[in-house]
Amino acid sequence: MRRTRGFTAVALSAMLLMAGCGANAADDSDDAGGAGKGGKLTVLSASTDINFDPAKSQNLAITTLGLVLRRLTTWDIQPGKTAQVVPDLATDTGTASDDGKTWTFTLKDGLKYADGTAITTADIKYGVERSFAAELSGGLGYHKGLLIGGDTYQGPYTGGDLASIETPDDKTIVFKLKAAYGDWPWIASMPAFTPVPKAKDDPKAYSQNPVASGPYQVSSYQQGTAVTLTRNPNWDAATDSVRTGGPDEVVFQLGQDATVAAQRLIADSGDDRDAFGAGFVPPAQLAQIEQNASAKQRLVTSDAGALSYLALNTRRGALKDVKVRQAIQYAVDKSAYQVATGGAAGGDLATTLITPGIPGRAEYDLYPAGESGDVAKAKQLLAEAGQTALSLTLLSENDQQSLAEAQAIQQGLQRAGITVTIKPADETTVTDTLTGDKPDFDIAVSSWQPDFPSANGNIQPLFATSEIGGGGYNISRYSNAEVDRLIEQALATTDPAAAQALWAQADKRILQDAPVVPLKYNKNSFLHGSNVQNFFVAAFPAYPNYLKVTLKNR
Amino acid sequence: MTALKRLPGVLGTLVVISLLTFAVFYLLPADPAQLSCGRPCTPDRLAQASAFMGYDKPWFQQYLDFLGGIVTGRHFGAGRAAVDCAAPCFGWSFRLNAPVTRLLLDRAPVTFSIAGGAALLWLVIGVGAGVLAAVRRGTAIDRSAMLLSTVGVSAPSYLVGLLGILLFGFTLDMVPVGGYIPLAESPVDWAWHLILPWTVLALLNAAVYARLTRGQMIEVLGEDYIRTARAKGLRERRVIGRHGLRNVLIPVVTVFGLDLGTLLGGAVITERVFSMQGLGALLIDAVGTVDLPVIVGVTLFSALLVIVANVLVDLVYSVLDPRVGKETTSR
Amino acid sequence: MVVDIPPPELARHPLRQLASDRWAVAGGATIVVFLLIALAAPLLSGLEGHDPYTYDLDAVSDTGAPLGFGGGISVEHWFGVEPMTGRDLFAIVVHGARTSFLVGFAATALAVLIGVAVGLTAGYLGGWYDRLVSRFIDVLFGFPWLVFVIALGAIAPADLPKQLLIILVIGLFGWPGIARVVRGQTLALKQRTFVVAATALGAGPGHLLRHQYLPNLTSTIIVYSTMTIPGMIGAEAALSFLGVGVPPPTPAWGRTIGDAVGWVQTDPMFLVFPGTALFLITLAFNLFGDGLRDALDPRTRGLKR
Repeated sequence: MRRTRGFTAVALSAMLLMAGCGANAADDSDDAGGAGKGGKLTVLSASTDINFDPAKSQNLAITTLGLVLRRLTTWDIQPGKTAQVVPDLATDTGTASDDGKTWTFTLKDGLKYADGTAITTADIKYGVERSFAAELSGGLGYHKGLLIGGDTYQGPYTGGDLASIETPDDKTIVFKLKAAYGDWPWIASMPAFTPVPKAKDDPKAYSQNPVASGPYQVSSYQQGTAVTLTRNPNWDAATDSVRTGGPDEVVFQLGQDATVAAQRLIADSGDDRDAFGAGFVPPAQLAQIEQNASAKQRLVTSDAGALSYLALNTRRGALKDVKVRQAIQYAVDKSAYQVATGGAAGGDLATTLITPGIPGRAEYDLYPAGESGDVAKAKQLLAEAGQTALSLTLLSENDQQSLAEAQAIQQGLQRAGITVTIKPADETTVTDTLTGDKPDFDIAVSSWQPDFPSANGNIQPLFATSEIGGGGYNISRYSNAEVDRLIEQALATTDPAAAQALWAQADKRILQDAPVVPLKYNKNSFLHGSNVQNFFVAAFPAYPNYLKVTLKNR
Repeated sequence: MTALKRLPGVLGTLVVISLLTFAVFYLLPADPAQLSCGRPCTPDRLAQASAFMGYDKPWFQQYLDFLGGIVTGRHFGAGRAAVDCAAPCFGWSFRLNAPVTRLLLDRAPVTFSIAGGAALLWLVIGVGAGVLAAVRRGTAIDRSAMLLSTVGVSAPSYLVGLLGILLFGFTLDMVPVGGYIPLAESPVDWAWHLILPWTVLALLNAAVYARLTRGQMIEVLGEDYIRTARAKGLRERRVIGRHGLRNVLIPVVTVFGLDLGTLLGGAVITERVFSMQGLGALLIDAVGTVDLPVIVGVTLFSALLVIVANVLVDLVYSVLDPRVGKETTSR
Repeated sequence: MVVDIPPPELARHPLRQLASDRWAVAGGATIVVFLLIALAAPLLSGLEGHDPYTYDLDAVSDTGAPLGFGGGISVEHWFGVEPMTGRDLFAIVVHGARTSFLVGFAATALAVLIGVAVGLTAGYLGGWYDRLVSRFIDVLFGFPWLVFVIALGAIAPADLPKQLLIILVIGLFGWPGIARVVRGQTLALKQRTFVVAATALGAGPGHLLRHQYLPNLTSTIIVYSTMTIPGMIGAEAALSFLGVGVPPPTPAWGRTIGDAVGWVQTDPMFLVFPGTALFLITLAFNLFGDGLRDALDPRTRGLKR
């Protein structure tokens, strides 16, 4: 789940995200307007597959898919600025009817696919419709529960068309929702809102060969090895405010080991000067970069954002007792955990659920125990709870990094006399056990970055009763009627300040029950070659913005 | 034909292996449909995804469908989005959106390139060193060759491989540190990118062959017909080349055949170390994502490799040693 | 995991022959030293004043790199400390020997037990049983057992010790090599006069196997076992290297090597100590096994002189 980004739609009328990304390297300043066209950019990626089918993708708007596919709206992510939703194919971010249930978008003029044919709203309607098909499930599907008739619609292959999306002409598209929804413009930036021409829709091949609308098109797809993007001749920069389209060619090298990729970028030789790593730099390489002036300049670290936490399964044995869970709050060695993730470069110690940079966050510490915990206090609470020989199973992914983190937790709890057995398993099994209906674990380290910068994104998916099991991320199985009421109330509150106060209240109320131990607000570090410029990581989302990266002219 | 006579046995073996693989992975707590459900995942959508992929059926039913697909092909879903997996269909990977057969064919060249080049190298080095040691037995050459080979057998491949990457790839910046270039694209780049894995694997494996060759050669050199050949005044080079080597090659070929058959097991580690996306990497990936069709496909493929290797060994036997009759098959 | 060696035969003065082989003696001595280290691991690390589990964050820098020379080597920490945790590397390495020996010996014992039983019966009984076993052996040789270990790790209940699971798995996949050799030897013995005579005299299968076959297979089994152990130790290390072996924090050389790979440029000693230990013990077993084979096999010995 480390790589999982949660997202919850919520009525949020103002984007008040704290700006600032001081850690971004100084070499971004040498960008002179439109300079940096041309060259072959290489992206080193650990994943072995890129799925370009917009219906099946969970890609962020600013990464791989954004280079090839445009949506109705998209994100404007810039260093030091707040994340914003901006028009992409549409002329604006949508116009809502008075009741907020009907949203209308109009397309820009002169938009074409790579083959020269015009992009129409019928294609966008079709693109959204096909995301409902069971054959193409797997993508971000927040729109499915919001559109009228979305609950039962089976997609265009078997279910005809979806009446709640109307296209009065080639340039206009209208969405009819079940209820007022102020954040529909954000929903329209999801991959499913990419135009897909019906005549070219081959569901079996689309994931490798999509019809391009962005600056690049897929020119070769070597399964598991590499994907090459070349220029889309029919992309017009004048219609696109967020994509630079710098390099002539973008090559994704797939299946790259994180350590080897980082070593290559540190060495910075040959073609690797034109490369950047899509994954986080491992802690060992962070230490190595510390002693390497050249590499240090090319390391880009985000501000502290996403929350890492220790989830306590509140429905298991001794963990049902709030005293025991509170004891664990004191027993955990957050400092050891921080070092295991790369020290200060890995993030800041956490005490709250709402993360820094989110509007309305109130700083507090319910369990003041210092950086390394308060073992005596933990023992005292355990004694009060009548637990003398507590033994817990910690479910962890079996990669090096996860195991290092698991051990840091283990040794911390051990100090208070809690025996922790680490159970390593592969990523899929772990995710499935945590979010599924057979939660066979006591505790687990997890992290959560919402796709959407709001306090709601921090609280609702992790602590609402409705998110327990069935693929939901309330992995602590925390259920409290009072908290559920607070969440509902906050969701329905349209005044931002009032909503924020409610979320802050929920934050504290939840931690009184101690279903999780907040560990750390993560910082993500990325490394790029010396010839790569305009490479930055904003505060949200804490990933590089692929759309703006250019190469220096050599 | 021996190969034909073996067919029922071969098929039976493959059925047992696939059944075993199916059963074990069916027991995994992970639900493959969950991965394809998307976010947010509702129980309805999960059930739909599961039904589409056929994971809602009991495991033996899934297994029978799998067997049937090999003969008749399979269909998933309906209408335009229907997935059509033509016979012989060894399953469909919903994660990679491709038939397993094509995935195997796509990835196999990588694994075979690594193994093939390395095998050639180690065969030459191993047999060469073994013969040299046997002919010069008891000398410093013999002792150091055997000591070196013991050292080679004792070093874990991943450790040597990673050190090789660090030394020759990063510190000396002499060779590429991984990544596969298809042979058709550029034979020079292909070989250049494979040079490190070839060397590492060859050095480690050559050790086994050197010892084997030496032991066999010493034994053969003591045989009567060699003495006769020498007594007849044949030159030593000819004695060794003509009479000695031929008999030494029989056990070497046996081991070589088996090694080639098992190359997939080693590929898992090799490909991980050298960041190459062959069958081993495909398999590990599939296990991590509970991509059952791919797991079964690769497992069956690897079992098939072993069987083919065994048949080939038999064939080479009959070429090397005309005396070898039918009974070799049961060896 | 499978070593193919020519089948040895019974020799007359194997021990004297073994003692005169310098490399074999060195190998044997190394094995004994490592065995003592493994047995006395808590004592040794106690002598140094550490255990392999306790974190010491004062010994590492803010980024997790060990402070001081050679990965933190000092009077306090003989081999330095582990990056990111500050755990004592000497304690980890000596305790890691326990894991290696335990898994290596137990898995070998299991593999030899099954291998001998299967090989002996297959060679003795012959017929369809032999054909079935031979086919099964062929397949097991090529089976991607690593995949099964990973899958089984996920299925196995948390309270089943992972060490036991690993012993079972690599033991159960490790027997075909010895089964094949024993089967071949048994087939050869079948033709020997003393066996033929005993059979003619009406000895039952139980008696034949126990009193005629097994004693004549002893040297093969001993040599083969010795040469299987390093393979098993290596298999456990490879699994731990891949993250599917003995779970942390139980020290295991393979896992430490896997962790150390990333650190090799900043802290090479982190790789050197466990890497050397694993290499030395494997080498020692191989040298000793070589010597043992030469000593027990009159053919190679005779020719060596």
